[in-house]
Parts: sequence; C-alpha cells; structure tokens
Amino acid sequence: MNIYVIGLAIYPPAERIMNERLEEMVYTTTRAALDDAGVTRGELDNVVLAASDEFDGRSISSMLMAMPAGAYLTDEIKVTDAGAMGLCLAAARIASGDFHLGVVASWCKSSKTDVEGLMRLKGEPFFTRPLGLNCAVTDALFGRAVVERWGIGPEEINDRVLAAYQRAAGNPRGVRHRVPSPAEVADSDYVSAPLRQGHRAPMTDGAVSLVLASEEWVDAHPEREPLARLSGVGWATDGYQLGRERLGGMHSARIAWDMALKRAGLGSASEVEVVEIESQTGFHEAAYVRAFELEGHPGLSPSGGPFAQNPYFCSGLVNMAEAVLQVSGRAGPVQVQGARRGVGHGCHGFAQQANIVAVFESVEA
Amino acid sequence: MPEQVAVVGTGQTVFRSLDRERTFVEQAQAAAIRALDDAGLTPDDIEAIVFSLAPTAFMGVTEAERWAVDHIWAGGKPMMRVHTGGATGGSAVHAGYSLVRSGMFRTVLVVGAERMGETPDAQYFLNQIWDPFYEKDLALQTIVAGAFLGQRHMNIHGTTEEDFARVVVRQRRNALKNPHAHLKGEITLEDVMRSPRISYPLKLYDCCPRSSGGAAMVLGDLDTARRCGGRPAFINGLGGVSNTVFLGDRVVPAAEMDLGGVEEHRIASRQAYQRAGITDPAREIQVAEVYDPFSTLLYPALESLGFCDPGRAAGLEKEGAWEPGGMVCVNPSGGTLCTNPIAVTGLVRNIEAARQVMGRAGDMQVPNVKQTLATALGGSGQFVNVTVYGQDHH
Repeated sequence: MNIYVIGLAIYPPAERIMNERLEEMVYTTTRAALDDAGVTRGELDNVVLAASDEFDGRSISSMLMAMPAGAYLTDEIKVTDAGAMGLCLAAARIASGDFHLGVVASWCKSSKTDVEGLMRLKGEPFFTRPLGLNCAVTDALFGRAVVERWGIGPEEINDRVLAAYQRAAGNPRGVRHRVPSPAEVADSDYVSAPLRQGHRAPMTDGAVSLVLASEEWVDAHPEREPLARLSGVGWATDGYQLGRERLGGMHSARIAWDMALKRAGLGSASEVEVVEIESQTGFHEAAYVRAFELEGHPGLSPSGGPFAQNPYFCSGLVNMAEAVLQVSGRAGPVQVQGARRGVGHGCHGFAQQANIVAVFESVEA
Repeated sequence: MPEQVAVVGTGQTVFRSLDRERTFVEQAQAAAIRALDDAGLTPDDIEAIVFSLAPTAFMGVTEAERWAVDHIWAGGKPMMRVHTGGATGGSAVHAGYSLVRSGMFRTVLVVGAERMGETPDAQYFLNQIWDPFYEKDLALQTIVAGAFLGQRHMNIHGTTEEDFARVVVRQRRNALKNPHAHLKGEITLEDVMRSPRISYPLKLYDCCPRSSGGAAMVLGDLDTARRCGGRPAFINGLGGVSNTVFLGDRVVPAAEMDLGGVEEHRIASRQAYQRAGITDPAREIQVAEVYDPFSTLLYPALESLGFCDPGRAAGLEKEGAWEPGGMVCVNPSGGTLCTNPIAVTGLVRNIEAARQVMGRAGDMQVPNVKQTLATALGGSGQFVNVTVYGQDHH
C-alpha cells in the first residue's frame, strides 16, 4: 500500500471536556490536522468519519459532525465500529485510485455517556441482555479466559497496569493521570472478578484527525513532506457468542495482525520498533503481547495507550496517530529512538470481538 | 491498476411493516443467502463484509451488526459497518466498492437489515437527529423536512400537490410487478389527494411506509465476475456529497445548494457521470432508481441529476417520460415511496438498478438497458450518493 499520512492532530484530552461541544472539538482537531498537513479543506476529495451515535447521544451523529470534520460539499462516509476502522475505509478509498486527499476523523466524549448503560444495549434482547452483560462483565470474562489459557498470575496484570501508567506519565498528549501505587491497583475493588477497578484504563474525552494522501498526490506536491507511509492495514471480527474459545482464542486479533503485516511486507513484530496496543485493561495487554508475539518488545505502547488517554470509541485511532508520531520522530518525550516502523492497534465490541491493525513506516524506511 | 468492480449477486426479503417470522439477524441472513445463491458463491468465497445499518434506535439494539456476525458467516473476516442515515445503503455499496477497487479484497458482501416496525414512533427518533440546541425543539422530523422541501419546489417552480400525487400513482402501479415491495396497487390521483393531511403539502399517500426486511449484494473483481458467469453489473461511476445539516442555510441567497432542488444530487451525479464517462444522462441512462421517501423529493432529484431542466420534471411526468418505455424509466420497483427499510433502502435502490443491467429484474425488467443509476439520500437531505451501473466496465 502506498498511502501517506501528511498531517494529524490529537485534541488535548481530559477526563471531562466542558468548554467545547463535540462540534467544536472536532473542528479544532481537524483544522489543526489540515494545518499540520499544509492543506485546506477545499482541497479534500473525501472524508471518512468514525463515530458512534450512541456515544454522541444522537440518532445520526454525522448530520452535525460532518461539517466540522471538513466534509462540507465533500464525499463523506461514516463507519461506526471504532475510530480505527475509519482509517481502514479511508485507506481503501485512496487505494482505489478514486480519491487522493482525505481526512479521517473520530472522537468520543465518554464523560457525557452512561457507558455501561450503553453497553447493556449492545446485548441482543433474547439471551444476552437479560444476563446483564456489560463492558465490565465481558472484559472480566475475557480476563478469566486469558488467565486460564496462559496461566497468567495477578502479579503480571498488576505490573502491566503500573508500567502503562508510568509510560503514560511521560506522554504530553495524555491526561497525565497520577501513577497509582501497587497497592491501589492490586487491592482495588472488583468490578467483576477477576477484573478490578484498578486494572481498567480510565475513560477520557478526546478526538483525533489524520490527513491521508495518495502516492500520486504526494508526487505532485513535493513541498509537502509526508509524515509516514501507511503500508498495511488489517481487520477482522470474531463471532458474537462468548464461548471459551471466542474469549481466549484471540483469533480476530491474530488475523488482523497477520493481514496488516503481510500487506506491509513484514513477517513479525521483530521488524517494527513500536507497537501501540489498545489495552483497556491489564488483561488486554497480557493477551495481546502473547497473540502478537510481543513479549519483551522494547517499543510496547510507549505512549501509555489508553492509560494516557482513553476516548473509548477512538482510542485505537489515537494509538495509530501515536504510531505515526513515532515513525516521524515527533513523539516528544516518549519517542523511541530509531523508530522506523510502528504499529497502531484498536479493538472493539464485547470482549474485543473485533481488532484493527495498521502499520506505518517512516518515509525513508 | 484499480480493479473493476462488478455486482455478481443480490438478494432481498419481502418487505413489510414487521417481519414476525424472522429476527433481525435472520433477516440479514436470509438476504445474504439469496445474494450468495444468486452469485453461485458460498460463504467461504466472501473475503470481507460491509454491514449496512442506519440508526439502531429504531430497533433498540446498539451495534446490532455485531450480533449478526455468526449469521452472515463473518467470523474471522474483516467487517465494517457503514451508517449515513437514509443514505446508508448507498454508502455501504461505495465502501464495498472501494474494498474491491483497491485490490484489498476480491469479494465483498454488502448486507443489512431493518426492523422499522418495532419502533413505536420512528419520527420521535427522527426528531433526535437534529441539532439539540437550535432545531430539535421545532418538532422537525423527516416528514416535515420533506414537506419544507416540497414547499420550496412549489414556490420556485409552481409545482402542485397534484403533480406530486402523480408520482405516487405511477410508483404504486410499478410496485405491482415487484415481489419484494411493501406498498403496491392501482390508486388514483383522487385517492392520493383525499388521503389524510400529514404536513403540507404531504398527505398520507405521499409518504413512504415503515418497512422491515433484509437486503444484500455481492461485489467482486473482474476474475470473480467471470467465475460467477452470467451478466454482471459493473459499477462504473460513483459520487457522494455531504452538506450542512441546517435547512435554513439552504434557503438563503448565499446557499450553494438550494433545499428545494436537493442540489446535492448535482454534485454527486456529476462526479459519478465523469467517472462513468456519461455526458448526457437522459440519453445514456435507461433506468433510474431514485431515493424518494416522499413524493416531493423525486422531481427536484431528477432535475438535479440532469435528466431535465429545473422545473421540468413534473411536466414530463404528465407526458409519461418517467414511465417504463419513457425517456428514463424512474423507479420501476416502486421506489422508496413504496418500500422504506431505512438501513437498507439505499442498498435496495442499488440492487434494483444493478438487476436491470444484469437482465434479472423479472417483471420489472426494462428492455435494452445498458446503464442505470441509483441514488440514496440521508440526514436532512444533506447526504446524497449516486452510483452508475453498466453492462460493460468503463
């Protein structure tokens, strides 16, 4: 794939953004991304939005959000799976040859949403919903399956959470949560065994936009130096029923990972310097490092991932933006020296039903 | 080199107010099975899925597409959901097209379902789509928006209620030949005019029904089309546009797109025509499946699509120009006026347009079809997409 990221912006996240409406957040973010790319809205030939009506509290959220995201009188499509899915469709549109310069934008004001109430509505009405499944319960089922499959002890989960907070503390684009003490994580209340409150990345508000361009556009605009090349994307979904194999098998994660790396011409994690994982809990990180064969990888989520900021719906796309910043040498205090290839990962659905992976390379790579 | 993209199979269920025999996921499955059978493919042949699903508030299950994964054999495969309001089905086709066109996947299943009949009051939810600070409290919903649009066209072009009623009469009659249509029948101009007033100039028969059912389309690259055999429909052009949500901003002198002309069709269709190499749509396109949930929408859409000059569509209706055998056969399926399962209505428009090219439109088949067009419209009429199908790839 020869698609280029030529600009991006991440909205300064907060646990609760009170001073701007969603429209203003998205306008601010997309405008900053366009400025970063050195292009104007009028030059765009397509926009892909990734948003959730339910999180936004509107029946068709793009009606109000398309314009602030730069889509006025432009070809625009919205996907609703997760922020990171917007990148997949945006990549396909540019790779089709029909489009050459586009924006992908995503956002989430988790703070104004009854998240667990929303999660309960995801359950189908006949069997799942009456059980009261929600995010906490399904993440706990996932955690239990992961622990049993790989024989993971609680110490590893706690250590991963603490390490993620510590990495996040150095990320100027994060909320800069206070790093909890080991006891605050290990002894925090159970929300659904074995998942403790301290194991979960706190949700935040946030937004992110990236500007993508085709190779043809980049060749025609040598004055605009791309930040990174998007060399591969992959995504996949697992089944709906939360059986043991579905919960611990990590099938869609592996399929998405393999698909993205294959498209990028890569064979394994050893060929990338940075991998930004969407670890909503310590159990997630423990599972993904095993599924992606990342154990001991020195560039594991240097941004802190969701423990730095976690605008739930678009945390995966924030990870991808962080990966772009790494390979373009703009990651600041969390920069991994010599990062030439970086992976961004996102997941969505009950107990990570689906996974999305994108590979970025420095333009010299 | 971009791949050619062809429709190799389609499937629909019968649409009705409420499908009591199937759940949501079974509706999607039924449509997927029919599309796969139509293409001569099996689920294992499908490499990726695009799920067409508009607001989930109608049914009350958020992310309902996740529930459908196992029923449409999507487990272990890439799947994404597209949602652009009423334009969703057309956008889903465009997304599927890009997945094939880019070379990412050789076969894509575009599938979706809708259960409008489970909604106590669809227009309550369709009030929630508007701006919560400025417009929602005005009791706006899609019927009122369609009425505003009609009033604007009447004021500018002198269109009458009787003119709009003729659309209903023709399309209900067309739908008699459509085995999947929800509303159908021989009705008169007087029947439409005497139906209860909803929102001036709209009366009950000027409005679409709330429909439930499923629809699916299989897209493939050129090799897949050859393998499937038969006559595929190639997607030769597509275009889309998003405009401001605010209706008021589309009636002021500075407006770039006038509400009364649903001029978003002009931008989207010109993109599609350019890609398809069409310079004179009225001569080069034989069938148009136009998204018209209200009778007031059709004339301005046809005018903005370039089939005639602004203000001429109603007169051409009287002359029979939009009938089968006329200048351009418009909505031989009965259109959205007769069947509106919002999540898949745009997909149905695309299916009907593709089947005309494939020569598989059954009793609705128009002779000598070479190229067709499908549209979808959503939001406050702000989202429009257009797709051009052809017997030959461009």
